[in-house]
Amino acid sequence: MKKSCIAMLLAGGQGSRLYALTQNVAKPSVPFGGKYRIIDFPLSNCANSGIDTVGVLTQYRPLQLNSYIGTGQPWDLDVSDGGVYILPPYQSAGEKGSWFSGTANAIYQNMAFIESYNPENVLILSGDHIYKMDYADMLREHLAHDAACTISVLQVSMEEATRFGIMNVGESGYVCEFEEKPKHPKSDLASMGVYIFNWEKLRAYLIADENDPNSSKDFGKNIIPAMLNAGEKLWPYRFKGYWRDVGTITSLWDANMDMLSTTLINLYDPAWPISSRSPVCPPTYTGEHAHVVHSIVTEGCEIDGDVENSVLSPTVVIERGAKVLYSVLMPGTVVKAGATVEYAIIGENTVIEAGAVVGTAPDGSEGWGVATCGPNVHVKPGEVIPAGAMVYSEEEV
Amino acid sequence: MSKYHGIIFAYSDAPELGDLTRERTVASLPFCGRYRLIDFALSSMKNAGITDVGVIMARDYQSLLDHIGSGKDWDMSRRSGGLRMLPPFGLPHAHSGNYGGTMEALNAVASYIHDITADHIVLMLGSLLANIDLRDVIAQHETGGAEITAICSDGPAVGLNHHYLLDENGFVKDIHLYQGDDPKALKSLEGYIIHKDVLLRMMEETAARNHYAFHKHAIMGFLADGGKMDVYRHKGYVCAIRTVEQYYKASMDMLVAENRREIFPTSRPVRTKLHEEVSSYFGETAVSRNSLVADNCIIDGEIENCIVFSGCRIGKGTKLKNSIIMRGVTIGENAKLNYLIADKYARFSDGMELTGNAKLPTVVPKGTSI
Repeated sequence: MKKSCIAMLLAGGQGSRLYALTQNVAKPSVPFGGKYRIIDFPLSNCANSGIDTVGVLTQYRPLQLNSYIGTGQPWDLDVSDGGVYILPPYQSAGEKGSWFSGTANAIYQNMAFIESYNPENVLILSGDHIYKMDYADMLREHLAHDAACTISVLQVSMEEATRFGIMNVGESGYVCEFEEKPKHPKSDLASMGVYIFNWEKLRAYLIADENDPNSSKDFGKNIIPAMLNAGEKLWPYRFKGYWRDVGTITSLWDANMDMLSTTLINLYDPAWPISSRSPVCPPTYTGEHAHVVHSIVTEGCEIDGDVENSVLSPTVVIERGAKVLYSVLMPGTVVKAGATVEYAIIGENTVIEAGAVVGTAPDGSEGWGVATCGPNVHVKPGEVIPAGAMVYSEEEV
Repeated sequence: MSKYHGIIFAYSDAPELGDLTRERTVASLPFCGRYRLIDFALSSMKNAGITDVGVIMARDYQSLLDHIGSGKDWDMSRRSGGLRMLPPFGLPHAHSGNYGGTMEALNAVASYIHDITADHIVLMLGSLLANIDLRDVIAQHETGGAEITAICSDGPAVGLNHHYLLDENGFVKDIHLYQGDDPKALKSLEGYIIHKDVLLRMMEETAARNHYAFHKHAIMGFLADGGKMDVYRHKGYVCAIRTVEQYYKASMDMLVAENRREIFPTSRPVRTKLHEEVSSYFGETAVSRNSLVADNCIIDGEIENCIVFSGCRIGKGTKLKNSIIMRGVTIGENAKLNYLIADKYARFSDGMELTGNAKLPTVVPKGTSI
């Protein structure tokens, strides 16, 4: 059966700017927003949009990501005529095989997978974006405008526009120019890195791009400009709503804090559930001395300390007298009596011993930043980890 | 292939649970924020590697079927074997519409039991709150030299009726109805590992005499014939829930860390049906003391000594104390509620005041809007 649209999710990036958190895992499997991992957002969007075939392109540290996705059952993607497929780089007969050299090359190397579903359109997604989006609506616009490619764009402020790939739109409404991080932006429509391509067209451009030795094999840098130059119809799909790229510590922290506000993004809407694979834990216990306000808390936690403006994943322990403020605590972290965690991201199973201090509130100084502990770090009693520091365990997992 | 096959009894009703079991069996009674009572028996089996399990039910089993589904949450959705739900054939039982006893229930599914290929059968109650280490029971059964190993507790009263008297070799010589509060008595948890041939013989003999009781008829007959029954002493929290008071007490007992560790040890996790959920949000004005809160709740009010199931909403200024609120309960603003058990999807409007009693909490039936 010919599929109208399948999705290819780019999940191979190292996330080097998150270093302590992505030392042993790919960025899409970093815990997020309490219950989730980053990849839950695009996967849930696919399921909610009726896209039942998703290829997940992995490359960097895929072990945890592979086991997390499994059969795709949490997202109802364990279907018999589609489903979720992990697509690592591979070797063909007589070839040496190679790593994915760019986003376009990753899709190029998996053309056989796409062909096996013979889709009319292919949706390209990133594994590091936090948003709720109806891809079916985007597909309708794509088809209605007979576009070779539809690019999801977000209106940003002109100051922010210098940090994005900017789409300039002509009178016809189609994209007429694409500028990567322009110094003097002509438009405020930023590409979100979400594309729907007509597969036949994309296929031709991928092959041509692959044969160009000077290409960096990237959608934004090569494929989109090539299509524009050739006069293809590129339609901007104007997305309205919450969208964040979580590629840096600051943006990851910011986006987690955003989850505390249902006006920014409502995770409690039963019509658009974000699903996850989560362990079964008993409910969270808040003790006699617990003080938990303006915070997200997930099952399996034991809290007897102060928690304010924070995001807690499952099975976090916060002992009596500990303070957790403006912080993100990933699964299994332990904050012992009298320790303070402030403006920090704490990786999985990290233990912060009694009296230790991690991070500080912003003091207006230039060097200030969110403090980060990677997974499995042991912060010793009384140890002080300053704002902006990044500590990690040397262990290979 | 496991040498052990599980049977869970999920047919029993308990009139003293009133509205809490009007539309469900005791086995599917919601417990501790996200579970149903049958999760404990199913998880004990799963954690011991037993995934071929039959669940015997008689009536009011819609919620049970909905909860268990294919059994995949306990890894019991298998290509061969796995979970089998066993409703009655036809309309049985002139007396009450339910099985008169365990042997009648087993005989009603006799063909299923005949077809079991495992040598030993593990019988458990679907309504018992306990995290039993069946691996350990099995180890004792395999070395104890008895045809039956009975699971019992020598801790505080458990809410069940029988206790065992042992001979000098430690085997059961008699069964008494439990009376009073003798702390040393070996209280039956009505869980057994039994050789399949022994069980089939007991089924035939009781069926022939039109007997239906497990202890009074089958086990006493087995002992009279010289059968050997060993006892396994389960350590840890136990409660058989048959009344509203027991339900309330057992729920509140989960607020004690030691009890929680015994019921939810990390080495033997309790599995349950997974719902799509999101984390809970505690608002600017939230206060939560000595309480258990499941996922997908939004709490802006004050809770103390409460069990809050998933999907609940508690408005600003509301004070909820000493209460259990089940899945999807919504409480408006500035309400004062104390000593309640609010069943699923109950709604309390702004300013509502309602107080039960510590000895007899008020049950607010499913879907009630007040």
